[in-house]
Amino acid sequence: MENSARRNIDFSTIMVRLIGYGFIGLFALCCLLPFVLILSSSLTSERAIMESGFSLWPKEFSTFAYEIVFKNPRLVIGSYMVTMIITVVGTAVGLFIVAMTGYALQRQDFLYRNKISFYIYFTTLFSGGLVPFYLLITQYLHLKDNYLAVLLPGLLSPFLIIMMKAFVKSIPHEITESAKMDGAGDFTIFLRIILPMTTPALATIGLFIALGYWNEWYNSMLFLSPNMEYRPLQLFLYNVITSADFIRNSAASANVTPQDIPLESMKMATAIVATGPVILFYPFVQKYFIQGITVGAVKG
Amino acid sequence: MVRIKRILVLFLVMLLTFSLVACSGSSQTGSKNSDSGTKTNANGEVDTSKEVTITMMVLGDKPTNGQLEKVMEQVNTKLKEKVNAKLQLKWIEWADYMTKYNLTLASGEPVDLIITATDWLDAWGNAQKGAFMDITDLLPKYAPKTFEEVSKESWEETKYDGKIVMIPEDSYTQWVNHGFFYRTDWAKEFGITEPIKDFETLGKYFQGIKDNKKGVIPWDTPGTNVTTAWGYTTSYSDAIELPITTGVFPIYWAESYEDKYTVMSPVFEDVFVDYAKMMKDWADKGYWRSDVLNYKGDTRALFQAGKTGADQHHTETFSGLRPQMDLKQPGSEIDMFAWSDTRDNLVSMSITHGATAVGAHSKNPERALMVYDLIRNDEEIYKLFNYGIEGVQYEIVDGKRVRPEGYDETKDAFSANFWGGRVDKFEIPSADKWEGMSEIYAQYDTIKKPYPYGQFVFDSTPVEAELSALSQVTAQLVPAIAFGKAGDPEKAVKDFRKRLEAAGYEKVQKEIQKQMNEYKKLVEGN
Repeated sequence: MENSARRNIDFSTIMVRLIGYGFIGLFALCCLLPFVLILSSSLTSERAIMESGFSLWPKEFSTFAYEIVFKNPRLVIGSYMVTMIITVVGTAVGLFIVAMTGYALQRQDFLYRNKISFYIYFTTLFSGGLVPFYLLITQYLHLKDNYLAVLLPGLLSPFLIIMMKAFVKSIPHEITESAKMDGAGDFTIFLRIILPMTTPALATIGLFIALGYWNEWYNSMLFLSPNMEYRPLQLFLYNVITSADFIRNSAASANVTPQDIPLESMKMATAIVATGPVILFYPFVQKYFIQGITVGAVKG
Repeated sequence: MVRIKRILVLFLVMLLTFSLVACSGSSQTGSKNSDSGTKTNANGEVDTSKEVTITMMVLGDKPTNGQLEKVMEQVNTKLKEKVNAKLQLKWIEWADYMTKYNLTLASGEPVDLIITATDWLDAWGNAQKGAFMDITDLLPKYAPKTFEEVSKESWEETKYDGKIVMIPEDSYTQWVNHGFFYRTDWAKEFGITEPIKDFETLGKYFQGIKDNKKGVIPWDTPGTNVTTAWGYTTSYSDAIELPITTGVFPIYWAESYEDKYTVMSPVFEDVFVDYAKMMKDWADKGYWRSDVLNYKGDTRALFQAGKTGADQHHTETFSGLRPQMDLKQPGSEIDMFAWSDTRDNLVSMSITHGATAVGAHSKNPERALMVYDLIRNDEEIYKLFNYGIEGVQYEIVDGKRVRPEGYDETKDAFSANFWGGRVDKFEIPSADKWEGMSEIYAQYDTIKKPYPYGQFVFDSTPVEAELSALSQVTAQLVPAIAFGKAGDPEKAVKDFRKRLEAAGYEKVQKEIQKQMNEYKKLVEGN
């Protein structure tokens, strides 16, 4: 009796697990394989790529692509430092400001909330365009060749403010009111009550901001000139590839025979260099991320 | 409460320190004086007692190995002694260079000298926007040698609105006419003993590769390269291209060099149908990959690896590629089939393919021109600025430039990317350039026709919308036709014509013709 029941349970659970794990395993493989391909290609000699294309296992092992990327280790490390500092500072400051804005905008006793919300939302529909933006940063704020030119534009994004607003909405307004009764100021309420209650949201938004800063290259390209010694990592890597491309295609390349620049494997190596740390960092914040995404659906 | 205040204060202090650190890192460029540092005294002599810094905008990646600083130090010593000025380069990197170039010019940042070009750096567009200074009156006085050397006709081609806005690179030989590079050793194997001079013979060569060379794709190209459309038009008609961009392929051409003011389009002629048919035939025979339109390979590298039989680019590329191929594929002895080989349809490059302008917001235009005059006409400075330091970057052996013993590209490479006024008389031919180039140049010289549209500045404002619609049509259809992927070729060309007409082909043609007639009066009236 007991046995058969267990067998039954066993059989159905085994089936469910088989199908479930099989499917998830396949899906994980689909995500993993491209990455393995990139990693192996970055370690393959250019000749092998030319002759037989990319493969999941290096046909001819070579670290030459990495040697070129790390030709000047000081510059790579400097670029890493710049990107990390900008990411850490930008995420901390940006998160704080976004959270404050989002909270303030959904407070029902805030008179102009709809007008200001619209003002923020409006910028997602209409923008001044590139030239006014460039003029603002360079001519009015004088931020050319200044890391702030990269840091400031990324601090606030309308999308994230709207997202934060929706998150905070799930916290009943009564909490704020009762805290007020007990004599707490607005800042106390925000710091001591609201922030702890919105950690999943903060993690999600923080991750968005951090990824934005980590991948940021366009503003760096516009505002940080080559006169600066250290520039964000993505721009540095982008330049490694474009200049290799250029050397390869220019007739003036003396002594560097074009094939000495392993363009294909170098592209892969730069991809690895750029994503490596993010991959290492991700498992630690993953749980918040999942929580953050589901928080809107289930009110816990 | 107190704790919160403390946290906030700490937070603000952190912010401030960070911004201070970030601000102190920014370097101050450009001279701060608002009045020009170059005066003329009563005798008409130029007074350069005040030292100024001249900035120059160049395209390219700044060398980070310290060689640039070493060379510039020597250049600046000479400049200081001669005109009491210091030259500082401002680099526009290749990444998205067009956006950055135009933004920098539009922003009104003071730049003294600017490398520009009418065909690939939108010089006329920037002149229209007022980014360049009118230097007509300054030239004779502050850049006398350059002013002398450039002919009157050439100066005419640098005028916008009757004023000189740039200095042309008019005494430097370079040919950027396109064609195919192919291997003569393979061609001989297939019984093609004469140099290839037309598309039919090229087809035979491709077929030979298909039949005899296993695993080699005759022309392994990405589907973005539609230059064959130019090539076929130039080879099988007398039409010459007009400097009007309509996306991936220029729709508007002139009838011929003799009839250079008549605007037409080869797309509406039989030649384009023949082209479409030939490309369909080539595609069916497998002269390129079947997934060519999404393929992104590097044809030149494959050509050098012996994996493909042809590469497509211009003469200057060929001059460097030939010696490289002799090393990589010994005995390949590559040759070039230039589009002009078929019927001598060859127009010289515009002399403003490279040029230097003075920025509209320059604080020291006079001194900037004096510096330019030296770079262009002082042999010592010229060689320093273009080649680097003798003994470090180059040595001269038998009148040719070679790399010194122990030269290391990563440590010793130098370039200042000065493409706005090189002159043949100071050029030292590089040993890496193929020796046979002089014959090719000489052959071009016998058939070349002077560039007829140097002063033609097309004002696109009335037809802006149509031009962008035409660009969309070319982007959609030209690659498919160029690689025989558009089904029945005759039907494809008919469809292409129909869609061009719908996009406003005739309106634009009338507008160009109208401005061309004006231009004819300007040229013939002189």
